[in-house]
Order: sequence, then structure tokens, then C-alpha cells
Amino acid sequence: MESISKRIVLNMDNNNSSNWELYLKNELKKMNSNNIEIDCKDLNLSCIDIMSIIKISSKFNCTISGFFSTSPKTIISTQSLGYPSQFIFNPYSKKSVNKSDIISDQSKAHFHQGTVRSGEYIDSPGDLLILGDVNPGAIVSAEGNVIIWGKLLGIAHAGKKGNSKAKIAALHLRPVQLRIATKVARGPQEKPQIGLAEQARIFSEKIVISPLETM
Amino acid sequence: MATDTRVILICSGKGGVGKTTLTANLGISLARQGLSTAVLDADFGLRNLDLLLGLENRIVYTAQEVLEEECRLDQALVKHKQESNLSLLPAGNPRMLDWLKPDDMKRIVEMLKEQFDYVLIDCPAGVEDGFKNAMAASQEAIIVTNPEVSAVRDADRVIGLLNTNAIKPVQLVLNRVRPKMMASQEMLSIDDVTDILALPLLGLVLEDEQVIVSTNRGEPLTLNSVNSPAAKCYLNIAKRLLGEDIPLIDPVEESSGFGAKFRRLMQTKIF
Ligand SMILES: Nc1ncnc2c1ncn2[C@@H]1O[C@H](COP(=O)(O)OP(=O)(O)O)[C@@H](O)[C@H]1O
Ligand SMILES: [Mg+2]
Repeated sequence: MESISKRIVLNMDNNNSSNWELYLKNELKKMNSNNIEIDCKDLNLSCIDIMSIIKISSKFNCTISGFFSTSPKTIISTQSLGYPSQFIFNPYSKKSVNKSDIISDQSKAHFHQGTVRSGEYIDSPGDLLILGDVNPGAIVSAEGNVIIWGKLLGIAHAGKKGNSKAKIAALHLRPVQLRIATKVARGPQEKPQIGLAEQARIFSEKIVISPLETM
Repeated sequence: MATDTRVILICSGKGGVGKTTLTANLGISLARQGLSTAVLDADFGLRNLDLLLGLENRIVYTAQEVLEEECRLDQALVKHKQESNLSLLPAGNPRMLDWLKPDDMKRIVEMLKEQFDYVLIDCPAGVEDGFKNAMAASQEAIIVTNPEVSAVRDADRVIGLLNTNAIKPVQLVLNRVRPKMMASQEMLSIDDVTDILALPLLGLVLEDEQVIVSTNRGEPLTLNSVNSPAAKCYLNIAKRLLGEDIPLIDPVEESSGFGAKFRRLMQTKIF
């Protein structure tokens, strides 16, 4: 069987971005390969969206070998479902500034690639996106959201100037301590389910942790 | 005169994890392979590399006199009795710490590079001046750690500092591994450690009572007790450092039927 994978690009323009399912089906019809990768561009897709992509593809006898996206949320979803995923950093994507619900102010967003190690401290005047693990003894903080494509084992502080709407998201959320705005919480004792990205946010005055797709 | 000298820092953050023991054994092993090797004791506060190598009574001059130009480098270097390819440059007086600067360490290492293939620097514990001086003179590093939370935490801190100072490659040696405790999950597993530290594993060293015996005798294991479990580990680390492809085995898997399997593990060359 042919194993070279063909790429499908979900190149939606501004008006019909909600129609990506239809678009995908049309692309799949034209496919002459069983092995595909999908470039989700700047679509913000949840785990549930990704699962429906997988389902649709399998109806067309296609297996997905990996995902690409410029949206951190999409990448966290695909990664947490166990797919090879590549984040494409695109700070100039106007669309994600307007539309993204996870990156609130991309102009001030900070991007860090690599493990944040014990004793290291990273801070962002906007959102903070980390591709890598945050180890025990490390501290990451942001005035906006903290999004970690990796494990959070150290301390994270989102909304540190008081924004209580800020969120902390990670593929594996097992921090020493979480802080959002002025609230502080100890990390959960039990291990999170493998393969399920989680987020922390303030809900009725308390920091609560839930699966990422409800974001 | 050596051209492409490798200058390797042996460090850990935490004290007592086995840096000096590794430096001594790696020094002997590299020398055995025919490489002219210098070990530099950069732990001026708690010097003991000379003790482990059994060379304490032969020291006349130290790095201090070399830096103060009171003697030449070759006068301070102490050649090992049995392994003539190995020389020790002893640490000076602990008061050296008051004035020693990164540039001084660089000067010493530049001199050593002129005549040795390998320079191993036995680093002091901590992340303060002693560590920074030693790091300034190094190109690559070996992090030594134990399967314990506090040792791993300190190692992680040190790795961050090595990365910001462009020291590379940085490789990992996990020392004092007890397969039985790992199997019963009383000890951090190898994966636990490498997951956090995200470094290539250069090797494991088994917990071995012979290490203590050899320390007291001033004869590194790799010198005369080459069949002891830890000696084999050190030798394999030296070979991997030289680029030989020696596979690692999982001590837990190997020990999961304790007894026979464990003895096999102790005899295996692969560790
Ligand atoms: N693999 C090992 N098995 C048993 N004991 C060890 C092992 N490695 C080191 N030790 C012991 O641990 C102690 C500290 O070792 P040392 O090399 O002096 O550490 P450091 O230089 O990092 O302070 C010594 O008493 C040494 O004998
Ligand atoms: Mg020591």
C-alpha cells in the first residue's frame, strides 16, 4: 500500500470557517491516498472537533498521520489525542487576533520553546505560550493566559495583574501550585488522565480544573 | 600536542552524588584507551580527587602556583602511578576561592589543552562562583544525578545554567541505581528522571559497595577491580563518550525475576 501521506489544507476564508467539515469531506473525496496529514491553519478546534475529523476521514478510509496548525488550541487538542502535531508559529495571523478565544492579545504574547527548568522564570505581558515542559521548581507567569504544550509540573500564574478570566492550559496539568489573578490553589494530587489536556480557570471564586474542550 | 581536546565538566548541583568518583573512574578508563587525559580538581573548597586517585602524597604544586606563575604546569601535574596517560592537576588552597575568576580557569584549561586529548573538570557542588568558574572553562558537560527528587531538582537547575552558557552536549549519568528498588517503585525510575531532565542518557552506575572500598584505598574501581558492577558501568560510560555504540539496558526489566536475572545483570557488559 502507498504510504506517502498527502496533505489536506483546511484553507477556510473568513466567511465560511464554520463550514470546515463540508470542505474536509470534499477534499477527502478527491483524495487518492489512504494516508493523510491535515493542516488546520488557524482554525481553533477542540478535541471534539478533532475527533470528528478523525471519524470523517475514516469513513473515506483515510488514516491521519499528523496535524499542523497555527492555533495553539488546535495543537493542544490534536496532541492530547496522541497525534503527531506541529505548531506553526504565526504572530501575524490577523484572524487569530480577532477570532481566537484562547490567545487574547497576541501582540504582547510571549513564545518560549524548550523545557523551563528548575530556578527559571518566564513572564509575559500578554499571553504566554510554551512549547515544552515546565519542570518542578520553575515559575511561569503572564498577564493573560498561560498555555503549555507539554507538562506543567512547576508553578503557573495566569492573569497576574488581576485578570480573573485568564486561564492555564496544559497537556498534562500536575503543577505544584496554580495561581489565577489573586487566587492560589495547590496542584491536584491525583494524576490527570493520560491524553487529556486540561485547563484551570476561576469558577465561582475558586480555581477549577476541567478538560480542555469545554474552553 | 593535542588538537581537538575535549573539555568536559562533571557537575551535579547537589553534593555527594558521585561527581568525583565518576571523574576518577572516567579518567582511568579514558587513559586505558590510550588517550592522554588530565583531571582537574576544581572543587577547591572540598578537594578530594587526589585522595580518590591515591595521589595525595605526591602533590608538590597545585593549580594555584601555576596561576601565580610560581611553577610551570608540568611541575604541578601529578602523573598517575599505574596509568601514565592520566595526570591530575590538584586544586589549590581553599583561599583561592577569594580571588579566582572565570578567566583564571580558562587560562589553566588552555594550558592543559596543549598537551591532553581529554580534560575532565571535577566541579564543586552548588551553582555559585565555584561552579561558574569551572563552567566558564568547559565546552561540554556530564550531569551526575541520583534517582532522588532533590538531586534531580538540582540537576535540572544546573542544566538550565549550562544551556544558557551554550555548553553542549550535556549528557546524563544516573548514579547509585538500585534495580530492586526501581522495580518495586521505591525509587524514581529511569524514565522519571529522563522525562524531567530531557537529556540523552550517557549511562547508569549501579549502587556498589566496592565504590566505598576503592575510595578508601585510593584506587578507583576501574583500575584494579574491573569486574565489579560499578566498574563495568564506568567503563561503558567511557566507551560511549568515545562514540562507541553500547546499548543501554533497563535494570528494572532485567531484575524483574530477581536472583538469576539480577546476577546476569551484574555480569552483563552492557550496563
Ligand atoms: N555507585 C556508587 N555506589 C556506592 N557508593 C557510591 C557510588 N557513587 C558514589 N558513592 C559514594 O558516595 C559518596 C559521594 O561520592 P563523591 O564522588 O565524592 O560525590 P561528589 O563528588 O558528587 O560530592 C562517596 O562516599 C562515594 O563512595
Ligand atoms: Mg566531589
